Amino acid sequence: MSFRMSKGAFWATLAVFLVGVFCFGPGMGQTLAQEKVIKIGTLFPLTGPVATAGQRCQAAVQTAVEIINNKHPELKVPLADQEGILDGYKIVLVHADSQGKPDVGKAEAERLFNQEGVWALIGSYNSSVSKPASLVAERMKRIFMCGASSSAALTQRDMNFFFRLAPTDETESVEFVETLKWLNQKKKANIETIGLIYENSEFGKHAAGEAKKAASAAGLKVVADVPFSPGATNLNSEVQTLKNANPDAVLGALLGADYSLWIRTMKQMAWAPKIAISYCSGYQDPVIAKQLGPDADFFMGSTAYSPQFNVLMPAVGDVEKIFKTKTGGVPFDGDSIQEAVAMLVLAQAIQKAGVLDAEKVAETLHANTWDSPLSLGGKVAFAKGGQNSKAHSVVTQLQGGEYKRIFPEEMADTEIVFPIKPWNQR
Amino acid sequence: METFLQVLIDGILSGMVYALVAAGLCLIWGVMDVINFAHGEYLMVAMYVSYWLGFLVNVDPLVSTIAAGVFIFGLGALTYKLIIRFTIGKPGLVALLATFGLAVFLKNLCMNQFSPNFRILSDTWLGGKTFHIGGIILAVPQLMAAVLALVVVVLLYLLINNTRFGWAVQATAMDRDAAELVGINTERIYILVFGIGGACVGIAGGIMPSYLAVHPEVGSMFGLIAFVCVAMGGFGSIPGAFLSGILVGVVEALAGFYIAPVFKYVAVFGLYLAVVFLRPKGIFGW
Repeated sequence: MSFRMSKGAFWATLAVFLVGVFCFGPGMGQTLAQEKVIKIGTLFPLTGPVATAGQRCQAAVQTAVEIINNKHPELKVPLADQEGILDGYKIVLVHADSQGKPDVGKAEAERLFNQEGVWALIGSYNSSVSKPASLVAERMKRIFMCGASSSAALTQRDMNFFFRLAPTDETESVEFVETLKWLNQKKKANIETIGLIYENSEFGKHAAGEAKKAASAAGLKVVADVPFSPGATNLNSEVQTLKNANPDAVLGALLGADYSLWIRTMKQMAWAPKIAISYCSGYQDPVIAKQLGPDADFFMGSTAYSPQFNVLMPAVGDVEKIFKTKTGGVPFDGDSIQEAVAMLVLAQAIQKAGVLDAEKVAETLHANTWDSPLSLGGKVAFAKGGQNSKAHSVVTQLQGGEYKRIFPEEMADTEIVFPIKPWNQR
Repeated sequence: METFLQVLIDGILSGMVYALVAAGLCLIWGVMDVINFAHGEYLMVAMYVSYWLGFLVNVDPLVSTIAAGVFIFGLGALTYKLIIRFTIGKPGLVALLATFGLAVFLKNLCMNQFSPNFRILSDTWLGGKTFHIGGIILAVPQLMAAVLALVVVVLLYLLINNTRFGWAVQATAMDRDAAELVGINTERIYILVFGIGGACVGIAGGIMPSYLAVHPEVGSMFGLIAFVCVAMGGFGSIPGAFLSGILVGVVEALAGFYIAPVFKYVAVFGLYLAVVFLRPKGIFGW
């Protein structure tokens, strides 16, 4: 028996099928919901040498969006007690991977705006990616919220749509030198010389430049200046150069696996300075700190958050529970929490502006001081150029695998171990 | 003088590991004329094999390096059976692109399965151990890796030059058709060559978790340096690849210390360009 469909029946069936797809298919919900959706793009290094950090930053933004889109009365965070913003608008995230490369980041920023139609961007962890990607946003008069990138140059461009939450390497450099001066006064540390080790990138070079300025202002002599290629097979020459110069203090800007390789190479060469302080780097990565074990102890760095800070930031604990469900139990770190703050502050500004107009929201961001229980200072306010003038961090030291607060003295919870214990005495 | 000797020894130790990675690539390249772009990723997979054996069943990298070698031998043989044999006799670009695809596949597979996290094995037998000769510090993990590299490269050299199997490999490399005419099973030779080439890099990767963090990107730079060693040493020359590996390690260390650390790869690739320009067939090429 053969089955033949007449032409009329065929077209009728096709018409019914198409109507069905358009009206009742999965696209329908999306189409209707589009009226009440704000698309936000995220741009982080999801693959490449710093992918671990990038993935945690993305999870932090997702955590913030979960709080904004749903009612969470138990959380002491702005917008947690309501569903959505602007009377029912929900945030939808569109994710992109910068691979930690400036050219890829710029291309992805263009794609997110032009093809995905995102309303604003959040990113990009690497300063070298944030720089070109934020230029794309500025040109299109769209907001770029930058959580963790620390290069001070980013907020020295007088851009109108760029907002950065983290402290800059300029502020951190001053803070590090203040720590050294404090040690000289309080502990008679006699720190006179400094060594710098940093990745040869926008982030590393700028951090080193700021470190040199701060050191020179404080009368400290830079005796070793060691840039290196990120992802190197070894750091033998780099550490040997430091060892040869034997500075009293080392300031480091090393990300991810490079940080652990640096620590291990110093151990192998049986050398450590009296004190080593790191910029936003592998130092803050709780996973690396855990894996390095006792080898990570007594090194220092700036920290905007660690679980040991809960006494200063009590609201974080419950938010962190949501975050941990997305990271397999890994808590917030100083970088990822800034990305969550970036999303929350942007949502507050949209709510306050009352309209989805990027220029108005940018003006609102500049004009107000924002409550931010996930920030160390509890507030966020943006200066001209977009820098968060309320950004704070604390100099911490890893002791027994925990980030202990050391400086400023009024925020300290532990005595510093100085100098770093020799490798054979741990 | 002490510092110079320290830098030189560090360079030689790194260079011997580069040499072992390059020896496997050299064998595959010399015999089959196939550029294996996935060589660095073989190293990364071997490091994961060793890491997981250490993490899950507490096997030290010094032992699991053998398992990593065997695993990558199998991966190499499988690569030949599933991919490379279809590219034999076709333009060289086909095999190159196929192995490039394999490299991307392996990297992303590991990224997906193991996440991009950096994984460090602590409490290994050799981890953090050093011994001192005068003022020179020798790191035991790197020293063992170098000794292992030397042993494996010597064995590989003897295998290729002093055994019937090795002569069959050489005959296949010179003229596949003629080798088949005298009864050599060239298909089998190809599988074994790809496997042995993989095993070399597998052994190198297997011992590395003693001192290096494991992550999906870790093999890229080693793979690139292996290409430089093979091209500098001369295509198909195992002694050439070995000496080039050591030369690369030494140049990298000396340039890194005496010129600037950031200059070390500039010096390595500059040397490579100079050798290729002055002697395109490499130092030991024919």
